[in-house]
Amino acid sequence: MMPKSVRVLLLGLSVAGLILPAAMLAQSSRSLAGGWITPNYNIPAITDATRKPAPRRTMSGTWIPFGRFGVATQAGGVSAKPNNGRPENALSFTPYGLELYKSHKALEGADAVRPAEGNDPRNLCEPLGMPRTNHYNLNVTQFFQDEYKVAILYQYDNRWRVIWTDGRVLPKLVDGAVQIGDEIREQRFFGYSVGRWVDDFTFEAVTVGTMPEDRVWLDATGRPISDQVRTTERFRRVDNDTMEWSEILEDPKVYSKPWETMKLTMRQHDPRTDIMEYYCSPVEQANYNKFFGNSVSGK
Amino acid sequence: MRTWAVVIFAASVGLFSAPLAAHHGSAAFDTGKKVELKGTVVEWLYSNPHCLLKLDVKGPDGKVVQWIAEGQAPNVIFPGGYRRDSFKLGDQVTITVEPVKENQPMGRILESVLANGTKLGRASSAGAIVE
Repeated sequence: MMPKSVRVLLLGLSVAGLILPAAMLAQSSRSLAGGWITPNYNIPAITDATRKPAPRRTMSGTWIPFGRFGVATQAGGVSAKPNNGRPENALSFTPYGLELYKSHKALEGADAVRPAEGNDPRNLCEPLGMPRTNHYNLNVTQFFQDEYKVAILYQYDNRWRVIWTDGRVLPKLVDGAVQIGDEIREQRFFGYSVGRWVDDFTFEAVTVGTMPEDRVWLDATGRPISDQVRTTERFRRVDNDTMEWSEILEDPKVYSKPWETMKLTMRQHDPRTDIMEYYCSPVEQANYNKFFGNSVSGK
Repeated sequence: MRTWAVVIFAASVGLFSAPLAAHHGSAAFDTGKKVELKGTVVEWLYSNPHCLLKLDVKGPDGKVVQWIAEGQAPNVIFPGGYRRDSFKLGDQVTITVEPVKENQPMGRILESVLANGTKLGRASSAGAIVE
């Protein structure tokens, strides 16, 4: 027979085990009438008392960048190197890359122009593509996976991408296309991605075969990206509720060396969280320009 | 009371301190300048890429000028309490805007006092660098 104190302790732990997950869910959400749950951007940090071990080999869940609201907006450029004119954030452009950058008229960053003077493809509602989708108002992001793939659902423009985990080989980059076996295949906005588990808690994804530099930008400040880019992402489960998401670019056509563009901490949220639409509509964009954008640009 | 607390907390912690999603930069705005406007709501467009508030404001000379103030997209300003029906036709409201440089009656919303007295924070991007 266990001592009473031990029995009380075990009972307490059992109850806590039942209550804690519900309490954690409640912390990461805010419920409206009728069960509609909105994101809670003020969830407390994980402590030793609330930390739970990460599950093995899964990223499934609803994730939101941790920190103050808007922390992963990246309006001023990719999070690891904002385009603010500071020397430490200067990029090693190739001559061609610098020429490209100068041709981009961005509405954000150190060389921003006024709204109607910009030539950001986003303003035409073009797909952002990879990797810009990671650098544009990254907010509520859902991960789903099965034995063959991981799918990432982004909030902006209701876009999604697939990272294959079934052992298939990354396509080979050829001029203006990719080669898969003997076939020449098309470039894609979100490219071709394959991934693997580096260990039980770290997933690595590589993406190639994205659109050429006249179709896509790297970020809102007009930094360029070419169709030769190879994007390597790492997703590391720190614990059950925390995941680090980092990204490294190699693009020898535009940058003279690889560089880290992003390192975000994501927090797990209530999987029932309702996600508002955030989209690019040519009609609404035109309406905005009519009433505001053109006027403040002197048009 | 609890609703008030949530609104105030979200506004102060979430919106006042954060560089929000920006569809455009700060180049068009007279950064740091503030103009308080009291007026009558003509239209509130809850739309992408920005929400727009049209407000008739009577000047000291009695002349009515229509201001257009922008907020961020709905999903961005929602956590701070801005809703589809926050501004209704004919509402008497007070907003503080950061005006544009072009000396036009336009700006972006820094703060709002709705017709029912609810105070909301920044509805526009600070256009700031995210660091």
